Amino acid sequence: MTEELRMPRSLADEMVAHLLEERPNEGCGLVAGSDGRISKVIRMTNASGSPVRYALDPKEQFTAYRMIETESLELGGVFHSHTHTEAYPSPTDVRLASEDVPYIIVSLAHEPADIRAFRIIKESWDAPEGEIVEVPVVIEG
Amino acid sequence: MPVEVRIPTVFRKFTGNEAVVSVEGGTIGELIEQIETRYPGFKEQLMSDDGQLHRFVNVYVNDEDARYLDKLDTKVSEGDTVSLLPSVAGGAR
Repeated sequence: MTEELRMPRSLADEMVAHLLEERPNEGCGLVAGSDGRISKVIRMTNASGSPVRYALDPKEQFTAYRMIETESLELGGVFHSHTHTEAYPSPTDVRLASEDVPYIIVSLAHEPADIRAFRIIKESWDAPEGEIVEVPVVIEG
Repeated sequence: MPVEVRIPTVFRKFTGNEAVVSVEGGTIGELIEQIETRYPGFKEQLMSDDGQLHRFVNVYVNDEDARYLDKLDTKVSEGDTVSLLPSVAGGAR
């Protein structure tokens, strides 16, 4: 069965709202849920503070991961915005991809925001290159 | 009570899919060696060629970042929790 990432419209809107607020910098965050259905959006700080780069603050990431575990959820994905480019992994996104979850990329280049998700499949978790496999995003409601 | 080492999803393939590995107290470096003994190949994922912690790996002892403690020499006691986190980053350029 093809993997899908399903999320309620309200959570997709919350995710986009956070990313719009972070402009001109890239915004970022985590989503959590279970069985491919997202039930929580976790807004995070872009520790890079850059319009073209993002990085999760490690302490915030630690706190978020513990919260996800405490609420018996699973890490469902990492999201970030591309403020002016397409919703597709850049070479930097691929090179720095480390987590074994879908990467949600939201392009703010046009309205409405374009939300797509991808798995970055690498030979080793820190390999500089990898295969990009799109994960269909289903916005419910 | 042993030390609990919490393994993120991306590293679980190297720990027989275990999300939590219990080890004896010691330094972080010694904890990694204990896990390596049990799961050969694990250490290589966490360490760089110069014997230091991989720059994309964050280690928390309870709720403190080991980089601000003694890094690999940080002492971990029975009952402590060690959490491993991969750095998460990227960007359009």
